[in-house]
Amino acid sequence: MPDTTAPRPSLFINFLDRIGRLVVNFLSDAGDFAVLAGRTFAAIFKPPFDTPNLMRQFLVVGVNSIPVIVLTSLAVSMVFAVQLDFGFRQFQAEGLASQVEGLAVVRELAPVITGLMMAGRVGSAMAAELGTMQVTEQIDALECLATDPIHYLFVPRLLASAVMVPLLTGISIYVGFWGGYALLVGVAGQSPFVYASDFYKLLAFRDIRIALIKGVVFGTIIALVGCWRGYRTYGGAEGVGNAPTSSVVTSSLWILISDFFITKLLLV
Amino acid sequence: MEPVIDVVNLSKAFGPKVVLSNVNLSVQEGESLAVMGGSGTGKTVLLRNIMGLLNPDTGYVSVEGKVVQKQDRAGLFEIRQKIGMCFQMAALFDSMSVEENVGFALKRHTPMTKAEITDRVDECLTMVGLKGCQRLRTSELSGGMKRRVGFARAIALKPKILLFDEPTTGLDPVMTDVIGRVILDLKHELGVTTITITHDLKSAFEIADRIALLFHGEIIACQPPAEFKVNPHPVIQQFLRGDAEGPFLSDPPPPKRSMNTVSHQVSVP
Repeated sequence: MPDTTAPRPSLFINFLDRIGRLVVNFLSDAGDFAVLAGRTFAAIFKPPFDTPNLMRQFLVVGVNSIPVIVLTSLAVSMVFAVQLDFGFRQFQAEGLASQVEGLAVVRELAPVITGLMMAGRVGSAMAAELGTMQVTEQIDALECLATDPIHYLFVPRLLASAVMVPLLTGISIYVGFWGGYALLVGVAGQSPFVYASDFYKLLAFRDIRIALIKGVVFGTIIALVGCWRGYRTYGGAEGVGNAPTSSVVTSSLWILISDFFITKLLLV
Repeated sequence: MEPVIDVVNLSKAFGPKVVLSNVNLSVQEGESLAVMGGSGTGKTVLLRNIMGLLNPDTGYVSVEGKVVQKQDRAGLFEIRQKIGMCFQMAALFDSMSVEENVGFALKRHTPMTKAEITDRVDECLTMVGLKGCQRLRTSELSGGMKRRVGFARAIALKPKILLFDEPTTGLDPVMTDVIGRVILDLKHELGVTTITITHDLKSAFEIADRIALLFHGEIIACQPPAEFKVNPHPVIQQFLRGDAEGPFLSDPPPPKRSMNTVSHQVSVP
């Protein structure tokens, strides 16, 4: 029988209790993620090396993502060019539009848009795939066949993502150039020669390097978070449904946070 | 003689729910043990502890003298290569074909060539009566076929021990009999030690050298089928009768209604 005479905890105690639980859960999740991430990095150089599996992931993560990256980069670079052209026209400084377009595309738009799109396309797919494998005991079956799921599932996805996201960022920069070209040259009437030279005027090689570093970091975040959320799925269909959502939200958040720190640290 | 599998004082609880309580079991080489019990009594948890997929709260499991719970990952994988695990719902890799599923462990753990792996896969599928199904996707298989592909995958590495987790649950009586025969064939052809978790009394009496019954997390009997059948323990007798009335259920069962004969009269104009 529950003790009905015991005093009920006050609202403040309940509030503190809830905050405490949130903090403990957050720390527990962070610790779990750190351990799995560490195990993944440690497993990269362990045999056996499953080349066909790795190649399949390069195809799924990289090649199959090209259309979506091309379309989103084109759309974002064009709309940004519209805004720049309109804004600078107010001050009769239309010539600056292509310079700022180049700066924005290379430094921020291409890496971040590629990262966010890949979190939605690839990270969610990883979470759903591993989540389904978890609830259908396929991951237990891997364990029983003496195969480390981290080595077999996480490592190829991490490598594919860390290599392909920077390459897709490069494609996004290239497409961004032509998106701005179509708008500023084709519609706003700028000279194509001026646009081509101005696009890179404010940029240095360092900016391309930073964009590619961002690509590697974002790719790593996408793969690790997607695999982690999938691997820790429980609760059947509902759990499998929650895993991709949670993966996209978590990795998008970390992409934006890490973007700030990488920019702040490297852009000096 | 040292047992191949030795479960010693094994206890496991999930939160307040005690699933296994001080379980002791020994399985000798070549022996076939059937573990029975009601739903949720911890039969699968027992297998998962043997495989090292779960860690017990107290006690341990040793396989061929090696304590599973004391092994590092490499040691655990070494033990697991000696055990073939057949899951309740087969747990086949659904992104692979039947051939890729059966050949998975061979490809990863042996230096066999592609042709040798193909031959071994063919051999394993023939043993479970699925010759010629190599190219099928797992989505094209029936429930019984999936279980048998799961068996073929489990025996591919020629393990010394086979664990079957409810291999006949959800199958029709004919397929249940087929699966029972496949298990018997595997036992006789490979000479392996087996532990089979089952609810099916017919299969258990056919395949087992000894039958154990789990009740409230404890093994209340572990004896040869003939002795098990005449064990006077009321729980065992109720389980064998398949009757709802008795000490087996914690909660009282719903009352048994009398089956009134209903006559359907057809009025002819």
